[in-house]
Amino acid sequence: MQARFLLATGIFILLATSLHGLQQGRFRGFPFGEDSPAPMPADANEKTEFVFARLRYPSYWSGGYGRRGRGSWTTDYPKADRQFLQGVRRLTRIHTRSVEQVVDLDTDDIFNFPWTYAVEVGYWNLSDAQAAKLRDYVMRGGFLMVDDFHGSWEWNMFLASLNRVFPDRPVVDIPSSDAIFHVLYDLDERFQVPGIQMFRSGVTYEQDGVEPSWKGIYDDRGRLMVAVCHNMDLGDAWEWADLPQYPERFTTLAYRLGINYIVYAMTH
Amino acid sequence: MFEFFFKYPFTVFAQGEFVLLARWPVWALAASILVISALLGWALWLRRKSPVKAMQAWRPALIWLLQCSLAALILLLLWHPAIAVSTLKPKQNIVAVLVDDSRSMALNEDGTTRLEQARSALEGGTLASLQEKFQVRLYRFGRAVQRMDKLEQATGVDSASRISEALVQVAAEATGLPIGAVLLVSDGADTTGGISPETIAEIRRHRIPVHVLGVGRERPARDVEISDVVLPANALPDSRLAGQVTFLHWGYARSKAKLTVKDGTKVLASRDVTLGPDGTPQTESLSFHAGLAGVRNLEVAVQPLEGEENARNNAVTRLVEVRPNRPRVLYLEGEPRWEFKFVRRAMEEDRNVDLVSVLRTTQNKIYRQGIENPNDLRDGFPSRAEELFAFQGLVIGNVEAAYFTPSQADLVRQFADRRGGGVLFLGGRAALGDGGYRGSSLEDVLPAALPQRAGTFQREPAAVALTPAGQDSLVCRLVEERDKNAQRWTRLPALADYQDAGTPKPGAVVLAEMTPSGGRRLPLLITQNYGRGRIALFATSGSWRWQMLQEQSDLTHEMFWQQLLRWLSSESPGPVVVSTPRRVLADDLRVPIRVEARDKTYAPVVDASVEARIAGPGGLSGTVALSPVPQEPGVYAGEWMAEQPGSYLAEALVSRGGEEIGRDTLAFRREDGVAEHFRTGQNRELLERLAQETGGRYYAPSGLNRLAGEISYSEAGITTREPKDLWNMPAIFLALILLKAVEWFLRRRWGVI
Repeated sequence: MQARFLLATGIFILLATSLHGLQQGRFRGFPFGEDSPAPMPADANEKTEFVFARLRYPSYWSGGYGRRGRGSWTTDYPKADRQFLQGVRRLTRIHTRSVEQVVDLDTDDIFNFPWTYAVEVGYWNLSDAQAAKLRDYVMRGGFLMVDDFHGSWEWNMFLASLNRVFPDRPVVDIPSSDAIFHVLYDLDERFQVPGIQMFRSGVTYEQDGVEPSWKGIYDDRGRLMVAVCHNMDLGDAWEWADLPQYPERFTTLAYRLGINYIVYAMTH
Repeated sequence: MFEFFFKYPFTVFAQGEFVLLARWPVWALAASILVISALLGWALWLRRKSPVKAMQAWRPALIWLLQCSLAALILLLLWHPAIAVSTLKPKQNIVAVLVDDSRSMALNEDGTTRLEQARSALEGGTLASLQEKFQVRLYRFGRAVQRMDKLEQATGVDSASRISEALVQVAAEATGLPIGAVLLVSDGADTTGGISPETIAEIRRHRIPVHVLGVGRERPARDVEISDVVLPANALPDSRLAGQVTFLHWGYARSKAKLTVKDGTKVLASRDVTLGPDGTPQTESLSFHAGLAGVRNLEVAVQPLEGEENARNNAVTRLVEVRPNRPRVLYLEGEPRWEFKFVRRAMEEDRNVDLVSVLRTTQNKIYRQGIENPNDLRDGFPSRAEELFAFQGLVIGNVEAAYFTPSQADLVRQFADRRGGGVLFLGGRAALGDGGYRGSSLEDVLPAALPQRAGTFQREPAAVALTPAGQDSLVCRLVEERDKNAQRWTRLPALADYQDAGTPKPGAVVLAEMTPSGGRRLPLLITQNYGRGRIALFATSGSWRWQMLQEQSDLTHEMFWQQLLRWLSSESPGPVVVSTPRRVLADDLRVPIRVEARDKTYAPVVDASVEARIAGPGGLSGTVALSPVPQEPGVYAGEWMAEQPGSYLAEALVSRGGEEIGRDTLAFRREDGVAEHFRTGQNRELLERLAQETGGRYYAPSGLNRLAGEISYSEAGITTREPKDLWNMPAIFLALILLKAVEWFLRRRWGVI
């Protein structure tokens, strides 16, 4: 009886937050999907110019959005997003909301958020309809940043879905001279940003992803539409920015990269 | 009728001088009238105590007035009134008959041409009567005046009709010949734009009365005629142009007609219109793409309708210079915004406008895009006029008014006012009313009076719609047809945000409005002229949703912003501007050239040397030195004669102390035989005015038989001055009888006989 009550309550809360989120720009939370909980700021519902949209995608392993919605898309969610946004507020003039927005490719709501972040895309598994929508989103002017996937196996898994999005566009290395590395911070000297696992494994890389790479997909006018952060974990660096043991230089680069990517997305 | 009552023609009274022939002094007449009036008044005074009630109050005064008038008239006749008028001496004077030989005189009306109508009227006895009294010289005129022996030599072949020049030439002959009067035979369809006051003055100086025989119908029975076409003189490549065509018609009310714009044989625009009432000017708009760079000789036409009397007045040509300019627009943005990104992307698709942007990314850093040199705009918004005025357009985004120093704010104002550029203000949380613009030095520039309250910027969706002015504006044209375009706007995705910009100022035009859900309508896009430039206000930063919320193939957002920024920047003048009032010279060869010269700060250059180098058809070329125009600093003017028909190109060069300040080009074209086909109805107003101002009379063909009797009264040529008695005019006797009859009638009515 108690389990049924809890389930009903949970469904009600989920529906309530989801319906709330259907209104343009309103905060839409996923309380069951929190991988790394963070306090809800008092100004979570402030209407702002920029909203950090986190892509909710179906995972390869679970065949959907994951058990209780906690697929790989929730990695570091929402603490990484909210800590990063504090940095965006402090370091730039961007008028940003303090909390993220979860978007997916099943409705058109994503088109209200021209910047989207996807994590652990080595496990994403987009349907053809979702791939088409993502392509449409990017071609209209939306920007996708992907992060926190490692090694050749996850790379191939990532490409399997990405090729359905862009069968005709290659993923290429972004040269250091590209504006995305200079739009706010000059980031010619970049290095691998490790996840929290480095304290356990003692190395900064995961699987066979030894060398970090900053890749992307360009449009016909030479503008980046998709920015790919492979063999690094910027999300962890944002999430653990408040952990004394986590090296400051990794956090600094992760913040600078994230901010550059956002400013680039808002200027190109 | 006039002659029946007044004995002499009207001309005698118009030209003559009133005189009294009696030897008695005029003061004696006045004194006599006074004495008689006093006696009559005294007589009435004596009868003031009459028991007759009816003679009370004002009635005796009226009787007295009638009696005085009668007495005054009789006294006047005793003084022998007459009119002294100069008359031409028979057989000693020349009457010049000027026959209009232009093509409009060959127009067929009801089976006869206008020339035939004129010949018929003249040969119906008038010409013979004139030849009995005077030596008659026949002339025909079009572009020039020529003597002719017979009226048949005028055949209506000349491509122009220059009445002024013909009259002046004949008047000049009067210095050596006794020309007593001129008879002008014309339909008044002058191709030089009318008869100048100088011409009238010249004729009056010779005292030659110009009598006019007006021929031709004053309005055609069935015709369509283009009366005016307004097109921009310059355009950017691939830009959309709007033209306004004004035309009149007679006999085709409620018929359908097709308007077209052609470049050679290529149809650029076509539109069906329904014709309005007869003789009423009707204005319709057309829009089309300018195409590639070059000079376009565009033909704007109403396709001829069935049964039209004159199809050659259905088309006019206009020159449009499509210049390969790339106006530069500076976009200052206060913080990263989606609108900024999507405006940049829209303008990257426009090959003809360069968007240069300065974006404040942090408290201390700016990000510049579209710059040509790494040092450009290094310090952000320009502080020097030379730097800012190098742009043609300026967009001010989410930037608070306090960002600008006083001198920068003044530069923004001068950018529109003096430089003639376009300034666009966008909505935002730190823009307009929320950005402290109310009460700032930039408030005057804005096209709206900002609200007093704060919180005018709201991040809530707002639906958009065009106003009637917006439906006519090219800036808002997303779909060619007006109605469909208006519907298209109502189907656009809602804006992401809106700002209450307040009340549009007088003279401002609201092109689009927006309605927040549950709110009142607010102006969205306002435009206004300011000094030499243009100002616009777009009270949102949320049009980016038109891009993200519509199909990828939809170009609404791109089109709107490209059109808006082209409107903003394409008409901004350079430092040197050369112009001429009419770029298509219809049967005219005079080309007034005007050059406006300014330096890099757009201050007028008053000590420049200015010349225009002109190249024309068949290797024709020349240079005109232009002189400063008094009272207009920085303006220089001169005139060139386009001796041959064809296309010309003029380049104006402005220099000072050997250093070139700037140059500009101007294309113009001379076309012959065009104007003659327009305004072919008889211009009776012009002809009547000419006759009236020179002491002549206007005659219709049916009334020409009076001419022979009236033409003798003239002060030109060899004349004699003779008085003509007035005492025996029937009108005088009628007046005497009337005065007495009225008095008798009143007395009888009032019972005081």
